[in-house]
Amino acid sequence: MREYDLETLRQLKRGELPFEKVHEMQSSHKDRDRFLKMLAIAQESVPWNDRILLPYAEHLYVVEKPDKSRVVKCDCGYEFGDVKQNWKLSALVYVRDTKEKINEIYPDKMGCDPDWMHIREYICPGCGVLLETEAVPPGYPIVFDFQPDIDTFYEKWLNQPLSK
Amino acid sequence: MTNKNTIQPRILAIDAGGTMTDTILVNEEGQFVVGKAQSNPEDESIAFINSLRDGLNYWNLTLEDAVPALASSIYSGTAMLNRLLERKGRKLGLIVTAGFEDYLRMERGIQTYLGYSYSDRLHLVTHRHNEPLVPRERIFGVRGRIDLFGSEQIPLYENEVREAVHKLIDMNVEGICVNLLHSYVNPEHEKRVKNIAQEIIRQRGADTLLFISSELYPVSQDFARLNTVLVEAYAADPSRDQFKRINRKMRELGANHELRVMASHGGTISTEAKELARTLVSGPIGGVVGAQYLAKELGFENVVCTDIGGTSFDLALITGGQFTIKTQPDIARFMLKLPLIEIDSVGAGTGSFVRLTPSSKRIEIGPDSAGYRIGVSNPVSGLSTVTINDCNVVLGYLNPDNFLGGDVKLDKERAYNAIKEQIADPLGLDVYEAAEGIISLFEDHLRNEVISRVLGKGYAPENYRLISYGGGGPVHVAGYTAGLNFEDILVPSWAAGFSAYGCACADYEYRSDKTVQAQIANLEDNITPFAETINSAWRELKDRVIEEFAKSGVKPDQVEFRHLLRVQYVGQLNDVEILFPGDEIKTAGDVQIIIDRFEEAYAKMYSRSARSPELGYLVTTAIITGVTESEKPKLPTEPLGPATPDTKYQETRLVYYKGNWEQANVYQMDHLRPGNTVYGFTIIESPNTTFVVPKGYKAYLDAHRIFHLSPE
Repeated sequence: MREYDLETLRQLKRGELPFEKVHEMQSSHKDRDRFLKMLAIAQESVPWNDRILLPYAEHLYVVEKPDKSRVVKCDCGYEFGDVKQNWKLSALVYVRDTKEKINEIYPDKMGCDPDWMHIREYICPGCGVLLETEAVPPGYPIVFDFQPDIDTFYEKWLNQPLSK
Repeated sequence: MTNKNTIQPRILAIDAGGTMTDTILVNEEGQFVVGKAQSNPEDESIAFINSLRDGLNYWNLTLEDAVPALASSIYSGTAMLNRLLERKGRKLGLIVTAGFEDYLRMERGIQTYLGYSYSDRLHLVTHRHNEPLVPRERIFGVRGRIDLFGSEQIPLYENEVREAVHKLIDMNVEGICVNLLHSYVNPEHEKRVKNIAQEIIRQRGADTLLFISSELYPVSQDFARLNTVLVEAYAADPSRDQFKRINRKMRELGANHELRVMASHGGTISTEAKELARTLVSGPIGGVVGAQYLAKELGFENVVCTDIGGTSFDLALITGGQFTIKTQPDIARFMLKLPLIEIDSVGAGTGSFVRLTPSSKRIEIGPDSAGYRIGVSNPVSGLSTVTINDCNVVLGYLNPDNFLGGDVKLDKERAYNAIKEQIADPLGLDVYEAAEGIISLFEDHLRNEVISRVLGKGYAPENYRLISYGGGGPVHVAGYTAGLNFEDILVPSWAAGFSAYGCACADYEYRSDKTVQAQIANLEDNITPFAETINSAWRELKDRVIEEFAKSGVKPDQVEFRHLLRVQYVGQLNDVEILFPGDEIKTAGDVQIIIDRFEEAYAKMYSRSARSPELGYLVTTAIITGVTESEKPKLPTEPLGPATPDTKYQETRLVYYKGNWEQANVYQMDHLRPGNTVYGFTIIESPNTTFVVPKGYKAYLDAHRIFHLSPE
């Protein structure tokens, strides 16, 4: 079983490892405590103190607040609210629904037809970073990416149940 | 060993690795010693001389005494490969047909996962594009087009060539490669580019080198050809200076022969040869060439060559006295067009790591390995994961105090604890049971590879002899051949040095290939165009070979030329190499000979029922090989002694085999005499390898110091 130290994993996260090393890590089994190590690395990289329970998406984490509530939080500190609600409802959204807006990011005729597909960009109100992009038919409901079963994951997979 | 004063070394083989440079000296009687020294990539001649001196010490000879007596020296090394892998080659520019400037960025998809394990091939996330040997800004397209029949469809835009060459010289490139479409049929445009470039280089007083694809590798498949030309210019050609230095040192020491390099087609070539990229890989080739030589000397034709080293298991077939050549090998994640002996390599060696899959607790062997670091049992290795070697030590097959002649002391207890903790305890097994289970899994894996190679080609093990070599081969040979009924199983007593020995057995041989694409449906056709295409290609290739030999002062009448063709059925994809018995196609009878030989070879290699002559035959490649006399090691021949070995040398130790502890007889290999037969369980130790003869087997040592293993 390979074990990687925190520094190697930090470099992995920052994209600083040479490809041969990354490939070796991709191809072998994960170290048993990789999740917890990655969690620790995430925790040390954010400027706030709420406990991270789960990395949720790029820049987003599920954190435990002092009152034990679980909220989705951006690494800038902006909180989107309860993890059971779709965080996108609290985000800024920019919808590319015209040819002009689509052509801002695609060469002409290489993008989608706005009658058939919109591009929705969800942006953090706290720091303005692009968090997620959806490509959906016009009028399609906002996609709820996923709702993790955090308690079961900690209890059955990590074997360390969270105190309620 | 014979009287040391009479020893005259005849053949020198140099193996320059990344860390160590080995020299193998062979004397007139076929005995050899190995010298070692730290490699010195800056000036390889220093490491070479140190290594040679170290080797000669064993025979109490000085450089001045030994070097003039040598008849040939053969080099093989990893410098070129390292240069390529580390991307530390020449700064090159590239001129291609306009529209193809992105060749290197797009590659072929296969180059993003070449050399990967099966599971990695399936996991796209691991696929990665190679860093191009030439960055995009130094690649220029020039317009002009020759079609696949060789006719000019668009003339060459010479102004674009001029502009490209000027820009490349402005960028201070050391060399310019030229690779235009279909240049192997009609090189006119490439020649024109060359002339223009030469003119500009002269005008500007630059010393830029030129590498023209049609001159170096006139073969079809432009991408693989481009890769080959680039590898030649980028990594191979820069080694010439090193070769010159070694040659000069040798001359200074009184050598009266020229250094030669082991090439991928199984022959050795001069360091002045045009196509130096062929010498990029030579490691596993030596063994196959050695096995071929052994087969010829001992009078048999079909051999399975098996080589187990620390990291891999290499397998090759010799059928009818010939190994097969593949013409599109891949090396270091590049698809190339070079003739390379067909060798299958499996990532399973004696240094392979053994692990349990965390989820299913299945035992996994490799694909990565400890290589020269041996395993946990080697206290200075810094390793913590169990290897095959560790299991061999625990089971008593390897002697921890006599590994590499005692140079490395192995710690049995470390190995025992590691196996216990990592494998045996999690599986609830006894440590010895677990270790033996691992070994039998390993050997089953190798046996499956061997049998699938032989049966897969439609042959039967009963018609083959198997040769086992490499440091790890003789330890496992009984295991991986169990139940396969080979005609004979041979273990040369010099198994560990067999690859180097093989290099010394190689012919001084040039091989030149050219794509021709000549088709013939039947003999009623006019055979003239078919014959003329091939004959002219042969003439051209013969001139090339003569030219190459001339660099070493070898005259054409000293060279034996062979005329070969690669032929396939029209519409099929697999071409087969055949030898044409003459030197020119003159009559319909000659064409019939080609067809007959092809059909015969095809039926042997595939199956008779897969033949499909309806659409005719296609000759894809014309080949010329030229061989000239070179000295080779003699097989050692000693008088036969008694049938039983001298028991005064016999020791015993306990080994674990099939669930029981057995008392094994232990011999030092030097103490066994030709004629001796030993019965299992016996272990024969030498400084570089250990030969295990399990219970139920016997091994006979013949007059050539080759063991023959067979069931009792």
